Amino acid sequence: MIRSGIILLVEDNANEVRLTMWAFEKSNISKQIVAVGDGEEALDYLFATGRHAGRDPKVMPEVVLLDMKLPKIDGLGVLRRLRADERTRQLPVVILTSSKEEKDVTSSYNLGANSFIRKPVDFDQFIDAARHLGLYWLVMNEPPPRRDSGRSS
Amino acid sequence: MKPSVLIVDDSLTVRMDLGEAFELTGFATMLCSTIAEARSALSTGSFSLIILDVLLPDGDGVDLLREIRQTPAMAGTLVMLLSSEAEVADRTRGLKTGADEYIGKPYGQSYIVARALELLRKREPVSTAARSTTVLIIDDSPTFREELKSVLESSGYAVVTAGTGEDGLRAAVDTRPAVIVVDGILPGIDGSTVIRRIRADAALRSTPCILLTGSERRSDELKALDAGADAYVRKEEDTQIILARVTAVLRSAGSPSIVRTTSSLLGPKKILTVDDSLTYLHEVAVQLRQEGYEVIPARSGEEALELLSVQSVDCILLDLVMPGLSGQETCRRIKGSSAWRDIPLIMHTALEEQAAMIEGINAGADDYIAKSSDLEVLCARVRAQLRRKQFEDENRNIREQLLQKEVEVVAANSARELAEIRATFVDELKSKNIELEAFSYSVSHDLRAPLRSIDGFSKLLLADYAGKLDAKGQEFLHLVRESAQRMGELIDDLLLLSRVGRADLSRDQINLSDIARGVSEELNKKDPDRHVKWCIEDQLLVEADSGLMRVAFVNLLGNAWKFTAKVSAPRIEVGIDRQEGVPVFFVRDNGAGFNMGHAEKLFSPFQRLHTESEFEGTGIGLATVHRIVDRHGGRIWADSAVGHGATFYFTIPPARHGGHR
Repeated sequence: MIRSGIILLVEDNANEVRLTMWAFEKSNISKQIVAVGDGEEALDYLFATGRHAGRDPKVMPEVVLLDMKLPKIDGLGVLRRLRADERTRQLPVVILTSSKEEKDVTSSYNLGANSFIRKPVDFDQFIDAARHLGLYWLVMNEPPPRRDSGRSS
Repeated sequence: MKPSVLIVDDSLTVRMDLGEAFELTGFATMLCSTIAEARSALSTGSFSLIILDVLLPDGDGVDLLREIRQTPAMAGTLVMLLSSEAEVADRTRGLKTGADEYIGKPYGQSYIVARALELLRKREPVSTAARSTTVLIIDDSPTFREELKSVLESSGYAVVTAGTGEDGLRAAVDTRPAVIVVDGILPGIDGSTVIRRIRADAALRSTPCILLTGSERRSDELKALDAGADAYVRKEEDTQIILARVTAVLRSAGSPSIVRTTSSLLGPKKILTVDDSLTYLHEVAVQLRQEGYEVIPARSGEEALELLSVQSVDCILLDLVMPGLSGQETCRRIKGSSAWRDIPLIMHTALEEQAAMIEGINAGADDYIAKSSDLEVLCARVRAQLRRKQFEDENRNIREQLLQKEVEVVAANSARELAEIRATFVDELKSKNIELEAFSYSVSHDLRAPLRSIDGFSKLLLADYAGKLDAKGQEFLHLVRESAQRMGELIDDLLLLSRVGRADLSRDQINLSDIARGVSEELNKKDPDRHVKWCIEDQLLVEADSGLMRVAFVNLLGNAWKFTAKVSAPRIEVGIDRQEGVPVFFVRDNGAGFNMGHAEKLFSPFQRLHTESEFEGTGIGLATVHRIVDRHGGRIWADSAVGHGATFYFTIPPARHGGHR
């Protein structure tokens, strides 16, 4: 089976994007990280619409790393739309955020998040987390069967 | 429903006389001559009123009264005792057993009926609606009465009729009509007098009165209007004209007076006469009874006081010179009692001297009359005193009602203000809580992000540009990272402290031993090089929030772990003690301990008793534990000495309402 090896990072803070990409680089798991800056662009990317209209929609990321506080459409809004759509219902989504408020954790899982990770301040711990995350979702995890149905190709 | 009366008397005359009187007033009657008969009547029917003779062939009426008072089903029944045994001692016995009234024989038939109606009315006030359309017709011609009655009734009025002025006044008291139509010429007192009496009675004076007359003389009309009539109608005119007048006065009549509690001046009144001369007592009683008063004779001041303690009266006639308690002293005692002070008291004596009169007035009498005076004058004085009393009562009632209204308004206002203030506070609290939530959320999310960048880019520098930094530069970068991480911990601890204060408490039966063991294993795992001896007592059961209690133990055991780091045989103990009968949990270590002089700082946030280099920590942990114990309604305190370890004690009282707060 061909796996895309792509991680989609949805994060509006440019520093966070750089540090997260660097952490994944250091972990030697994936060099294919696509970063988008808000919820709307994340949906554009995944459904190949708007700014990402030219993209092949059959190529899906292995996992989406989704921040909660985002401009335009927030993290939970994005998650809700992904779970409502046939094409992305089974797409692994990991909430990656600074918050650990119980209500955020609860609503994330209620909306169908696969995992909830709170970004630690200690960057050594974060590199560790990135390595585990990549290893788990890109190597160990068996992805949902690719679906060509839903849209005629 | 028709009210019903049970009349128990062995005299056929009395039964017939009272039975007839009550039936005419609209009562259903039941007549019995013995106690046995009365018992069987009471067991099958219920009565609103019982007239009970005291001396009966098969026993004592007071005994039957006692039975009635002990039967809960008859609790609301009015009982009026009727007896020729009218000595004060008999009255006292009857009234103390629970009679609502005690009437001596010979009795006044109309007095008994009026008194019965008055007592019943007190129990169930007649509704304004029922009263509002009653018309009282006073006329000596039965033909005219019936004619007018049928005209008024066909227009929807309820009609009550009377043949004399005296009967009419009594009927006015009993029925409180909306309008009175009275003939000018009557056998006893005339129409003008009837209206004058109505106008002199505070309870009735607002009743519109229409005077009828056969006379065409202008002076008669003036006389009638002078007496206070609202309208004047010639009798020859059509009854339809009278109907129109009735409707007109009703329309123009104002709203009823606010005073409804004042008893009518023309209603039944009791006069207590106190005199050592039986002859004089008898003479006065006959005269007063003729006027329609109930007379209670007492032969001495002592008897009078005894009677007053069980029965209230409307007026007292007191002899000044008596053996035993003198009239003067009796008067002083009556006027000195708050319960009796307001009863009009007329002093009378055979002495004609001015000195005696002054003596009487000084003792507090309201009026003074010589025994030699005409009995008619005496009656007039009594009437005057009763009227004065009624006006006083009315004024007092009005004052009290106004005061009551004022009090009610003030109470309602302050209650409303209080509710408004409370609502404002609740709203404020709600919005503050929402603000606080938003604040801690943004602290959690937004303040940590820049810290992550500081730490992350420092790490990046150290990893990728290490070659371009000398040892000192690298050390500084490490310090930058340490500070950033420490600030991250502080933020986390503060968030926890705030969450502990806000979180809903859900109390269940939990085992603190399990929680303590779980925390101790985590600590062991985190630092496997350390060997701490744990002594955790089994079955530390308590009704508490397990999540919060875990946070408390993480902090308490974490502290104990930290402060035993530098001792040779570290030991941490968790257990339960009883202090003054109250279960007290404790966490004890043999670590560094602290100076009890600083104990009061222990549970406030950011207070530290050790330097950062000695023992690390944010200084928020114990504040969090304190808040958790506080949320459970418990207490926390510590005992320690430098170098001798520390013990933290806390209590968790049982939950108050079903385990949740």
